[in-house]
Amino acid sequence: MTIEGINTAVRPLVEVGNVSKWFGPLMALNDISLEIGPGITGLIGPNGAGKTTLLKLLTGQSKPSLGSVQICGHLAWLAKAKAHVGFCPYGDAAWDELSGRRLVTVTAGLHGFTGDEAKGRTESVLETVGMVDRADRPVRTYSKGMRQRIKLGQALIHDPDLLVLDEPLNGVDPVGRVELNELFLRLAGAGKAVLISSHILNEMDELADHILFVCRGKLLASGSLETIREVLGDYPLKVRVSCESPRQVAPQLMALESVKSVNVEPPEDLFLEVQNPNRFYAEFGEFAIAHDIQLSRLRATDTSAEAVFDYLMERAARPE
Amino acid sequence: MDSQPNISRFAACLQVFRLTLRRQFFSRQTIVIGVQLFLALAITIVWAVPKPWSPGARTGEQLAEQILSPLFMGFLLPLISLGYASSSISGERTGQTLVYLLSTSIPRPQIYLSQFAAVLLLTLGITLGCLSSLCVAAGMDGVAVLREFAPVVTLATVCYVALFLLFSAWLRRATFLALAYALMIETLTANIPGVMKRITVSFYAHSWLYDDSPLDLAPNANLPPYEPVSGGIAVAVLLAASIGFLALGMWLFSRKEYE
Repeated sequence: MTIEGINTAVRPLVEVGNVSKWFGPLMALNDISLEIGPGITGLIGPNGAGKTTLLKLLTGQSKPSLGSVQICGHLAWLAKAKAHVGFCPYGDAAWDELSGRRLVTVTAGLHGFTGDEAKGRTESVLETVGMVDRADRPVRTYSKGMRQRIKLGQALIHDPDLLVLDEPLNGVDPVGRVELNELFLRLAGAGKAVLISSHILNEMDELADHILFVCRGKLLASGSLETIREVLGDYPLKVRVSCESPRQVAPQLMALESVKSVNVEPPEDLFLEVQNPNRFYAEFGEFAIAHDIQLSRLRATDTSAEAVFDYLMERAARPE
Repeated sequence: MDSQPNISRFAACLQVFRLTLRRQFFSRQTIVIGVQLFLALAITIVWAVPKPWSPGARTGEQLAEQILSPLFMGFLLPLISLGYASSSISGERTGQTLVYLLSTSIPRPQIYLSQFAAVLLLTLGITLGCLSSLCVAAGMDGVAVLREFAPVVTLATVCYVALFLLFSAWLRRATFLALAYALMIETLTANIPGVMKRITVSFYAHSWLYDDSPLDLAPNANLPPYEPVSGGIAVAVLLAASIGFLALGMWLFSRKEYE
């Protein structure tokens, strides 16, 4: 049932090969293979899907029972691989007695930076995560959002190639979310691989180039949302068309082979179920020109991460 | 951040050392240990004051037999060691901050060694400081006793720290096991006849003390029923145990997957 859609033209930073992970009798991951390259990758799945286990494997916190996890050609468990990884774990834990600035400087020290280099990096990441003016307060006085930012600063201090973020927007206010999302996009634009585990699916729509859907320890699908949606051929694409006089257009649309059903929502909306999206777009283009349809909107309504996730979950629940 | 970074593995280990030292010193353990030391000091001062029924000055042998051996070596030394050593790695684990250490590019054995060095330095500072205070508080003879006890306490501290740090790497709630060990094994087993006491650190520490001391510290009716081994064997066992515990802890810490 796995759907592969990742472009592997460039050697990926992360290579996960046939990885399984057991905790006693519990199989947390079941034969997962994936690759992660530069750009933003979203990791999506319900609670208990195996997301955290996968993140732990990628950050070298645990070892696979079977298979291998490689970061930049090194086994993730080894120290060499960790030099390439920045990890922002879930939860608020930090060395609370330190100030934010001191915490980041200590982390710089833990990565082997000394003196001016450590200070310079500290100031640079504090500015990047927007904490310069609040960095001298003890971490224990920080709000949840501020903690997320300072943790992100810790993860960025050694300029890693792969940034692994477990629910990084948890507790961050809306303005902060926009700022951090822009930061993630900037990092991705600079060639970094950013892996974001999140349950806020609509944020992934805007943010992620690729999505990894996991459920019950299996990788259900990976690739861009569009690619995955296209492959889900047994779920008709839902398209919203806004035009003048939809009642006249509706019967004509039913004549198109790719259109499965049409619902009219006055005053100007039509909701279509489309069997073959590529074919539909081609047919609809010709149709609109031929009939001089004045379109004000043409949009697929179920290509969001949430919709695709629902389809994948439904598909996974079906008996084999 | 595009310039070539100047990364030093030694500096990274030093940071682990400093961080551990700071976090352990500024912790609840230090307060608890401070209270214990204050009480021990008070007991020693009261003990040292000449009594109407025993007007003469206390001797070094008396200090060793009545205060340092039972109170300090039998009780305080393991408690101080476990206070810091057993809470270092397991404390980071329960506080969910161990992940920050394990996410760095420092190999795990080096993280463990850095933690060991920090905890050992702190524990040695406190135990030797405590020993010195007790000896000084006891009077002039105490300084001579300090010279006899200092090397024994140093090696026993190394052994205890290595053991309790191993517990810390192994278990989330290592302090409970360490306490059980200190109170049940070190305190009780060390004072019963038979060979069971040979599994305790204090047995070998006392054996070394009795064997090499110019003071008259040989076992007598006032001390536990010791059948000491020779000083050479005692030192060898303490050294071997310290190295063994340290190596085992490093191995365990390097392989264990922490939640």
